[in-house]
Amino acid sequence: MIHALKRNLTSKAVLTPTIVAMTVCFYGCMAWTIYVSFTRSGMLPNYDLVGLAQYDRLWSAERWHVSFSNMFIFGVLFITGALALGTFLAVLIDTKVRMEGAFRTIFLYPLSMSFIVTGLAWRWFLEPTEGLQSFVRSLGWESFEFRWLVDPDMAIYTIVIAAIWQGSGLIMAIMLAGLRSIDRDVWKATKMDGIPTWRAYVSVILPQLRPLVITCVVLLAITVVKSFDLVVALTNGGPGFSSDLPAKFVVDAAFERANIGQASAAAVMMLMAVIAALAPYFYLVRKRS
Amino acid sequence: MTRKAVLLGGAALITAMLPAAMAGAQTADVIHWWTSGGESRAIGVFADAFEDAGGTWVDSAMVGGQAARASAMTRIAGGEPPTAMQWNIGVAVQQLAEEGLLRPLNDLAEAGGWTDNLPPLIVENATHDGNFYAVPVNIHADNWMWYSTAIFDEIGAEPPATWDDFFAVADQIQAAGYTPLALGGQPWQESLMFRTIIIAEGGRDFYRSVFVDHDAEAAGGPEMVQAFEVFGQLREYVDEGSPGRLWNEATMMVANNEAAIQIMGDWAKGEFNAAGLVAGEDYGCHMAPGTRDAYVLVVDVFAFPVLDDEDATAAQTMLAEIMMDPATQVEFNRHKGALPARLDADAGAIDACAAIGEQIVNDADAQLPNMALAFSNDVEGQITDLVTEYWNDPGMSAEEAAERFSDIVANADS
Repeated sequence: MIHALKRNLTSKAVLTPTIVAMTVCFYGCMAWTIYVSFTRSGMLPNYDLVGLAQYDRLWSAERWHVSFSNMFIFGVLFITGALALGTFLAVLIDTKVRMEGAFRTIFLYPLSMSFIVTGLAWRWFLEPTEGLQSFVRSLGWESFEFRWLVDPDMAIYTIVIAAIWQGSGLIMAIMLAGLRSIDRDVWKATKMDGIPTWRAYVSVILPQLRPLVITCVVLLAITVVKSFDLVVALTNGGPGFSSDLPAKFVVDAAFERANIGQASAAAVMMLMAVIAALAPYFYLVRKRS
Repeated sequence: MTRKAVLLGGAALITAMLPAAMAGAQTADVIHWWTSGGESRAIGVFADAFEDAGGTWVDSAMVGGQAARASAMTRIAGGEPPTAMQWNIGVAVQQLAEEGLLRPLNDLAEAGGWTDNLPPLIVENATHDGNFYAVPVNIHADNWMWYSTAIFDEIGAEPPATWDDFFAVADQIQAAGYTPLALGGQPWQESLMFRTIIIAEGGRDFYRSVFVDHDAEAAGGPEMVQAFEVFGQLREYVDEGSPGRLWNEATMMVANNEAAIQIMGDWAKGEFNAAGLVAGEDYGCHMAPGTRDAYVLVVDVFAFPVLDDEDATAAQTMLAEIMMDPATQVEFNRHKGALPARLDADAGAIDACAAIGEQIVNDADAQLPNMALAFSNDVEGQITDLVTEYWNDPGMSAEEAAERFSDIVANADS
C-alpha cells in the first residue's frame, strides 16, 4: 500500500492540485448548475425545487429556440468552413510557393486577434451605411447590396464568416505541420505511379492526417460552444435576437435578467448538446483502444 | 542579490506602501455605466466634489448598464462589494434590499430632509420597509423626442405632436434626403420607443392599467394592438444602418441634421451638450408624439452595499451626502441632461428642455412608472424580447404580439 503510494510520488504531487481544482471548480460547478436549474432561483440562488418548470419556460421562449438552432448553424458551417479553408491554405503553402513565410504569417495573423477585435473589425466592414456596401457604391456600382449584418435572416452567417477568418489560420498551421511530416518516399511513390498531385493529396496524403483532423475538429468545437465575445462584438445578438447564441442567452439571463434558474437550465442544455456532439468522438476513441 | 536582501527589500516595500493604504481610508470605488461624452462629464462632477472633500475616487466605469450591474453583483457575491453602485430605481433595488445586501440610509435621510424634498413616487421606490436604500441623483424621462430644427425648418413643418403628425411629414422628410426616425436598433431602444407609443395610443390610464395594475386583459386589448400597428409602421422610416447602433450614435444623427427625430430619454441631451449645441436653437426637444401629458420617470440612484470596514462605510456616508447636495445635483444634471431629483434644486436654471420637463413632472398625474419600476428585470426582459422580435419580423401580426404581451403580464406576478 505504502509502496504503491510512493511510486511516482513526484508526479502525483504535481498532479494533485490540478485534480482537486478540476473536481471542485469543474465538476462541482457543473453539479451545482444542474441542481440550480431545478430551482426557482432569481437574482440569487434559492434552493426550493420546482421540478422542470425552468426547462418548460426555456423551451417555450422563442429566443431560446433561435439561440439553440443558431448554435448548430454556426457550429456546422464554422467547423467545416474553417477545416476546409485551413486545409486548402496548408496544401497551397505545402506546394512550395515562393515567400512561404510571408503567406504563413498573413494567414496565421488573424488568430493573434481576440474575438472582440475580430468582431469589431468585421462589424465596421459589414455595416451597410459605412462599410463594404457604401464603399462599393461610392465606386459607382450604385445597386450593390450587401446587408447581411442588418438582415435578421442572414446575421448569423456574418458571425460564421468572421469566425472562419479568425480560425482557419490555426487549422492551416496544424495541417501544414502534418503535411510536412509526410515521408518523402510517399511522394516519390505517387510521382512514380504518375498520380496527379491533387489526387495524391485527396486519396493518399490527407487520409494519413486523420488524427490531426480530429484534433482540429475538437479545437473548433470548443470555440463554437464558448463563442460569446464574437457575437457580442459583431452583432450583439441582433437584429432583435436573430443571431443570439446560447452562451449569450445564459449570460443575459443570469445577469441582466437576474434569473439564475433560467440561465442554469440553458447552460445545462448547452452541456447536453456538447455531450451529444462529442459522444461519437469518445466512442471512436474507445473502440480503437 | 542575496535572498536576505530580497526579503529586506520586500519588507521595506510593504512598509512603504502602508501609509498609502491608510491614506486611502476615504476611498470610494464606484461602479457606474456613464461612459459617453456627456455622461462621463456628469459623473466627473461627483468625483471632483468627492476629491475636493479629501477623498479618493476610484472610477469603476463599465460600458453598458448590463455589464455594470453584472460586475456589481459578481463583486457582492464574491465578497468584495464596491463602495457604491449605480442602479435604476425600481423592483431590483427592492429585491437587493430584501436580500439584506444594501446599507439602510435612514440616519442620513433624516438629517438631509430627503423625504420632504423628493417626489413621493421616488420616496416610495427608494425605500423598503420604511428604510431608505438608494440615493436618487436625477429624474430622467423615457418619453422625450429630440428633433433637428434645421430639417423641420427646411421642409416647413412643425415637429410632430402625435404619430399621425409624424406620418403626415415622414415621406416629405425622406424625399428631402433625410432619415425621418433615428433609431438605435438594440432591443432596449426598440422597447423604449414602443412604450412611448403605448402611452400615445392608449393614454395614461391604459398605461397605468398595464404597468401598475398588471392587468393582463388590458395588455392584450385593442389599445395594445393599435400600439403595435403604429410601431410596425415606423419600420419603413428607419435607415438600414439602424440594427445594433448605439443610442448616442442615433442622437448624433439628429445633432448632425441627418435624421429628423429620435425618441430617447433625456440623457440624449447630454450628447447634444457635449457636441456644443444649444437646446431650443440648434436642436429641439419635446415629449414624444402623443405623450405631452406624461413623464415616464427613470431615476438613477446609487445604492450602497453593506460593508464590514468602518472607513469604507465612512466613505459611503461622505459620498451620499455629496450626491444629495442640491447645488451638486444641479451641476451634475447640467451635464447629464436630467432634472435634479431634489425638488428644492433649481431645475429651470438648466435649459429650455429642462424647463419643459419641470413643468410636466410637477403634475403628479403625469408621473408614470418606467419599466424598472413596473416589472422585475426578468419580466422586463421578456417584454423586450417580444418587442424586438415584432420589430424585426414584419410577418408577425399586431394581434399576435398583443396576445403574447398579455401572456407575459399574466405570468408576471406568479
